[in-house]
Amino acid sequence: MVRMIKGGLAFTALAGALLLQPTLRAQDNMKQDSMKQDDMKHDKMQDDKMMHDVKAKTLETGKFHGKVHATSGRATVYQEADGKLVLRLTNFKTSNGPDVHVILVATTDAMDDANFLKDNTDKLQLGKLKGNEGDQNYEIPAGTDLTKFRTVSIYCERFNANFGAAPLEKF
Amino acid sequence: MSRNRSILVLIGVSVLVGAWWAFRPEKLFINQKVNEAAPMALSSEPEALYTGKLEGKIHQTSGRATVYKSTDGKEYLRLSDFTTSNGPDVHVLLLRAEDKALGGEIVKGELDGVELGALKGNQGDQNYDLPASVDLNKYQAVAIYCERFHAIFGVARLERF
Repeated sequence: MVRMIKGGLAFTALAGALLLQPTLRAQDNMKQDSMKQDDMKHDKMQDDKMMHDVKAKTLETGKFHGKVHATSGRATVYQEADGKLVLRLTNFKTSNGPDVHVILVATTDAMDDANFLKDNTDKLQLGKLKGNEGDQNYEIPAGTDLTKFRTVSIYCERFNANFGAAPLEKF
Repeated sequence: MSRNRSILVLIGVSVLVGAWWAFRPEKLFINQKVNEAAPMALSSEPEALYTGKLEGKIHQTSGRATVYKSTDGKEYLRLSDFTTSNGPDVHVLLLRAEDKALGGEIVKGELDGVELGALKGNQGDQNYDLPASVDLNKYQAVAIYCERFHAIFGVARLERF
């Protein structure tokens, strides 16, 4: 009798373990290459692909922060179909000021207390700020190393001041 | 005497002009608004509404959760660069951002959330339809949730894109 109970317990434990185990090992990898379009017939996979059969790719995105010169919004780097890189600011707002530019900075982030950028920080000019409010686009020169330039800064050249910065993260 | 005075005035005026040029104080009150279109045929593509990074330490979770609105108006959640640990009965949920459950690992009691479906895969890009009625102002967090053990595998707080 005791043996039967023991056996039953062991069996239950084994069944339970089997129920939980397999999913832990199997890695159902469903990476989908959204850039290619081949004639797959799987309906769900096809759905997922179709929605993202895009011509332009979103590469990086980050939120602006900046307290001294209240700056907010989002910076996003897109790659167009022809390979061109574009920086787009959305929901964007900063304080107006003289000689304000959009630059890429070779740091991971520019903090508020570092309101004035150090001279030895690598900077890349994208152009004069088109407006202190609203959506706007800036071309990023071909060959720009985005692994090095990780921060977008709204930069007042006259006073070497960082109005606001957006650290970029992989989208 | 009046000559001295006019020299002083002249100096004063040029100092003022110089200071004005340097500081442009009127810009504090004048806004320059722009509204450029998206840099490509983005209008014919799904529009990103919210995005957030997925994080989870105990059940290593990483990637990005983004809510898109497709051209026909339907909203869906897309996980990209996604990895989490595999497990039994794992689901994708929308939760309130202020939900205390998001901070802990094991959920006690009931969750107030929107079920989006069983996790399709523990790695890779995947989409989940959002119910048409879902209020994204209320539910601003995505959770990867193991229902069998009430464990939160990973969380993404959604922010306006």
